[in-house]
Amino acid sequence: MTLNYIVFAASALLFGGSAVVALAWAMRKGQLENFQRGATSIFDADEPIGRVTDSFPGQKPKPAGGATKRS
Amino acid sequence: MSDTRREKSSSPASPAPRGGKAIGRASDRGGSVERPIDPERAARRRFRVDESTRVPVLTFFTGGAFWLLAGSILALLASIKLHTPEFLDGASWLTFGRVRPAHLNTMIYGWASPTGIGVILWLTARLAKAELRFPRLLVAAAVVWNVAVLWGTIGILRGEGTSIEWIEFPPYVPPLLVLAFSIVALSVATTFHDRGEAHVYVSQWYIFGAIFWFPWLYTVVELLMVYRPMAGSPQASVNWWFAHNVLGLWLTPIGLATIYYLIPKVLGRPVHSYYLSIVGFWSLALFYNWAGAHHLIGGPVPAWLVTVSIVASMMMLIPVGTVAINHHFTMVGRFAILKYSPTLRFIVFGAMSYTAVSVQGSFQSLRDWNEVTHFTHYTIAHAHLGVYSFFTMTMFGALYYIMPRLTRWEWASARLIRVHFWGTAGGMAIYWIGLTWGGVLQGAAMNDPKVPFLDIVKMMIPYLWSRSLAGVLMTTGHVAFAALFTMNMLHLGKRRYEPTLLDDPREYARLIASPPAWEETPAS
Ligand code: HEM
Ligand code: HEM
Repeated sequence: MTLNYIVFAASALLFGGSAVVALAWAMRKGQLENFQRGATSIFDADEPIGRVTDSFPGQKPKPAGGATKRS
Repeated sequence: MSDTRREKSSSPASPAPRGGKAIGRASDRGGSVERPIDPERAARRRFRVDESTRVPVLTFFTGGAFWLLAGSILALLASIKLHTPEFLDGASWLTFGRVRPAHLNTMIYGWASPTGIGVILWLTARLAKAELRFPRLLVAAAVVWNVAVLWGTIGILRGEGTSIEWIEFPPYVPPLLVLAFSIVALSVATTFHDRGEAHVYVSQWYIFGAIFWFPWLYTVVELLMVYRPMAGSPQASVNWWFAHNVLGLWLTPIGLATIYYLIPKVLGRPVHSYYLSIVGFWSLALFYNWAGAHHLIGGPVPAWLVTVSIVASMMMLIPVGTVAINHHFTMVGRFAILKYSPTLRFIVFGAMSYTAVSVQGSFQSLRDWNEVTHFTHYTIAHAHLGVYSFFTMTMFGALYYIMPRLTRWEWASARLIRVHFWGTAGGMAIYWIGLTWGGVLQGAAMNDPKVPFLDIVKMMIPYLWSRSLAGVLMTTGHVAFAALFTMNMLHLGKRRYEPTLLDDPREYARLIASPPAWEETPAS
């Protein structure tokens, strides 16, 4: 029974502890600065911001300008 | 559609694509990270990244689709037995006491978790802008996982279940799940390590929350509940601390990670307030773990524990509020796209349900409220608003986006997608209204000592029928989805060169070709 309580307490500490460590890491690495850039990090250079990009990936019907983008 | 693309490709070398001006400025201001300037290279890299996830992710999805159907059949059986107990009552392995846990476990461990893992793997590679590590090991993990779920489900139906809710799988199954899960965690960690993108996007934080907490949680609970069982009321506390965290630290982060990626991605519009999204993540990480005992209000556990959980449940309004505000304002001005994009329609349905289920959850954890609704069908309605309306619908949306990018094949039929959407959304609405209404009546009657119990049982029959009706609609949707899934995997149907939309593609092209005013004002 005591062993059970130890496991339980240890895991609770581990949960909290890992969150604190991760938060400290994020702050040290500057992850919590420059939110504007963070928010746009998911867009690649070929995905113009402000444009709907849920298009069919893969082949393009009429490639213009010789570019062969595939995504 | 095509003009957007033509416009894009006509200037492949232009470093700042249209609308990206504000962004360029922002990164000049303080960003230390380089964006690959060449759009051509960026697109090729994204293609390679998607390729690297193809086999493992599709393997996980296939298992998920199978268990969704199996779980639906079990769900219908469980539902029908509640109003027509004599239905198929001949076989012991089809009794309610076995079919219900079999439903819960096939849906949670067979459908929701593997599909979520597939999405996590794809998202991690996408966000890291790096190829997925250990694809072959991951396929092995998917196979092990599905064998384990099959074995466990058969075990439950044979009567070997542990009878502890949410971990009913017999004791020989959990080690297999933990093994498979460790491989997934390893792959996520190493892919993240390889990342070509320095910024850790908010979705990635949620994924870390999910992927590292869950295996530990699951191992601990199996140790404490099955292998070295605790006795008495601590058992209940541990049980619900676990079941609650499966929802809040496993399914919820996966769903939110997906929503935070796909809404902006489809709209081409960054999250409204990235700052709020970060606050939301850390407050979830802080509060959720404390709320487990709200499943035991009025139960034989220390009152302070329950009070702490109620406070934590109320505090949850903070992360939930940040998520709701953010998703709503990201969508503002673009709601018309819901008419066309299958991905967006399912995802936004899921996002709205997240707010609904959480606000409902916070209030039902108040003692006065819980006194009425606990032990009633009301809780089941809440449960499905969460695991179905929020999580499952979000996963459907994610699959509509991810699958064509991996199979290189567009969805075969817009009509089937519509059947899928209206079957599941309509079914869910009936499910929730029927059982919430019935549940409140049931709770009020149960609190009244003058009402004989059998009268309450009879009173509930019509409401339980409404759930079976809902179940038939939802299952119809699932069958449509499974058909689409199979056709997509096998490249059946006509080859398509344009996205499969739910409404007139020409109107859609016109709609997205005219970006509204917000495009000029960067989100703050
Ligand atoms: C802040 C958010 C939430 C709060 C405060 C909350 C609160 C609660 C409470 C108090 C119960 C117990 C009801 C009772 O037994 O009387 C409950 C049950 C449940 N909740 Fe939530 N909820 C929240 C969000 C969610 C989400 C997002 C999901 C799904 C992903 C979810 C799924 C469930 C399920 C499945 C149950 C039933 C568990 C069972 O009895 O097997 N909840 N919730
Ligand atoms: C075809 C649609 C579905 C139907 C008709 C259905 C029906 C049911 C029924 C009849 C129960 C037992 C309720 C009781 O004991 O009173 C149940 C419980 C449950 N189902 Fe479903 N279900 C469906 C889909 C799903 C999905 C997709 C998931 C998960 C992703 C899910 C997760 C659960 C959970 C977690 C419980 C336990 C709830 C609790 O204890 O509060 N269900 N469902």
